[in-house]
Amino acid sequence: MNPSLLFSQILNGIVTGMLYALMGIGLSIITGILNIPNFAHGALFALGAYLIYTVIQALGNFWLALAVAPLGVALLGLLIEYAGIRPLYRAGHDYQLLLTFGLSLIITEGIIVVWGPIGMSQLPPALLRGGVDLGITIYPKYRLFVMAMAGLLVLGAWLFLEKTRYGAIMRAGIEDKEMVSLLGIDIHRLFTAAFGLGAYLAGISGALTAPIRGLNPLMGVDMLGIAFVVVALGGLGNLPGAIVAGLMIGVAQSLVALVWPEASVAVIFAVMAAVLLVRPQGLFGIR
Amino acid sequence: MSGLRRRDFLKLGAAGAASALGVPARGGAQANEVVMLGLWSFTGAFADVGPILDRGMRMALEERGMKAQGKPIKYVTRDDETKAGSATRRAEEAVDGEAVKYIIGPWSSGVALAVSEVAKRKKVLHYFSGGTEDISGARCHRYSFQWAASPYTAAKTVVDTFMKANPRAKRWHLLVADYAFGWSVEKYVKEVGKTHGIEFVGADRHPLGEREFSNYVTKAAGNKPDVVAMVNFGLDTVTAAREIFNFGLTPKIPLILTWSSGVEELVQLSPEMRENMWVGSNFYYTADTPVAKEFVKNYQAKFGNPPGYAPAAAYGMTRMVLHGMDRARSTDHVDVIKALEGIEVEDLVGKMRVDAKTHQTLRPYFFMRCKKKDAMQHPTDFADIVATGSTPLPPEYSACKDIGSL
Repeated sequence: MNPSLLFSQILNGIVTGMLYALMGIGLSIITGILNIPNFAHGALFALGAYLIYTVIQALGNFWLALAVAPLGVALLGLLIEYAGIRPLYRAGHDYQLLLTFGLSLIITEGIIVVWGPIGMSQLPPALLRGGVDLGITIYPKYRLFVMAMAGLLVLGAWLFLEKTRYGAIMRAGIEDKEMVSLLGIDIHRLFTAAFGLGAYLAGISGALTAPIRGLNPLMGVDMLGIAFVVVALGGLGNLPGAIVAGLMIGVAQSLVALVWPEASVAVIFAVMAAVLLVRPQGLFGIR
Repeated sequence: MSGLRRRDFLKLGAAGAASALGVPARGGAQANEVVMLGLWSFTGAFADVGPILDRGMRMALEERGMKAQGKPIKYVTRDDETKAGSATRRAEEAVDGEAVKYIIGPWSSGVALAVSEVAKRKKVLHYFSGGTEDISGARCHRYSFQWAASPYTAAKTVVDTFMKANPRAKRWHLLVADYAFGWSVEKYVKEVGKTHGIEFVGADRHPLGEREFSNYVTKAAGNKPDVVAMVNFGLDTVTAAREIFNFGLTPKIPLILTWSSGVEELVQLSPEMRENMWVGSNFYYTADTPVAKEFVKNYQAKFGNPPGYAPAAAYGMTRMVLHGMDRARSTDHVDVIKALEGIEVEDLVGKMRVDAKTHQTLRPYFFMRCKKKDAMQHPTDFADIVATGSTPLPPEYSACKDIGSL
């Protein structure tokens, strides 16, 4: 096999895998702490893409837009938890689940109302257009940037969760909410922060993806399915698990596309089925 | 309290429940009424196209004042969900419940092949436009007609014209959608390519709805082609074209969309991504025919943007059925089928003739070259038509040997 092609495919796999991991980490934090599968996660991803497009149109600056757009999604996440999910804690999980499902439809339809049903393209910033010669292959600059940026975000999320006091509280919340609450920590504030952080990660994944895959109102649907696979594979609430699972799926998808392109979507679910048969709790999960 | 009685309330409740379950009310056709079904995708993979197909068909009927041969036309629609199972179920229900005698659509080739079998079994007229050659080929019968050009006509127009302009571009990499339409067009691109000495250095097939094209593009780049040609459609085409640009292949090497929806795809790409892009389509809005000019003018006035292949096909197919009614001087669908066989009209894309032996509409196919950003006069000034071609499928290639009886 051509080594240049193999190398490029592995790079592709790492880039898409990093984006899958970012989505998975966000979903994992929300699902782990709030105990609800956030069906609006894909729609928040799409919203991140549309917001960066709009901010670039308004300000003409990609970097500023990349800083601002995900914060907009995070704010919406905070609002969803505070005004939507919190009043339903007493009503039970079914209602919260239905709420996130309804919100996904509302956000998607909202995108159609504001930006229209037809897809759009967003160019990478001028600095990152075209390819760079890596010696063994020529590779798009923007994809390398996404790889680095997603890597930094994953590292940042890991440092936050592992090395800060609030991160430790979040991890404790995933393990045992009641105990955290009994220790005098405001569990509701923790829930809001978790949803906001998860939404931020979905929003920045969408914003980073926009120049690669473009924008269309249903772009979050595929990503939602993959994010659920990442969470199931990595283990609920498990950050290293989400990273490994995201990369595993991304690289598997790329390598399968090299030899059997028709199976490149099916392989995502084949990997999940294979891992869950051996470890039903996921790669690193304990429940 | 209003005059709503218990019995009325129960009726309303039953109707509401029926509609919630997707069971349409059995209105049936009034005597003397011509019922036509627009079977479009309002959900599923082609959900974005359904509403604009509906626009096209509606415009063609409204131009005639919703009448044919003095009889009122009742236009009904169903959502095929871009699924063969849903499409056949809904088509059968509309034929049985609404007395539909004319089915136009659906949009997906794979779905349409299933609907064509329903048309044959229920003995109703079916007009379809799409890339599979089987409707007027291996699975031809007297009740189904094909409006789009034969994949052979398309491949011949695209490959011949492109090679005339770029005679040295002989290394082609193909990217093909893995379903009925992709296979048909790919076959003839390769067939016609042989006559130009084209070497196909790669041909990858991708599933319908693929969103991660980096892998395919890396492979294409590795083959060092002179040209990348795609046989896919809609969002697949847009996503792949964007990735081909991001990897720096275009505009350095040309990208050919062999069977494109035209406007609907081009509008989703930025001008930089469209540079050095060549586009084949069954319709382009600058087509120089009186019918096209009038249609484009009215469509733009109504919806604010030029029509692409989808609304044009729905409009064109409906017009062909209405031409058949005119020729038959009847709205009886069997008479209309007979009248359509061999009909020759000057219509949307120019001279159009229905081959009686295959039910293939013989008509021109368009080939465009996209404009550079600074050459565009307005935001939808995407491309120039560089050629039209109408070479029909040679009889020896036709898989429709006997179209059968009514």
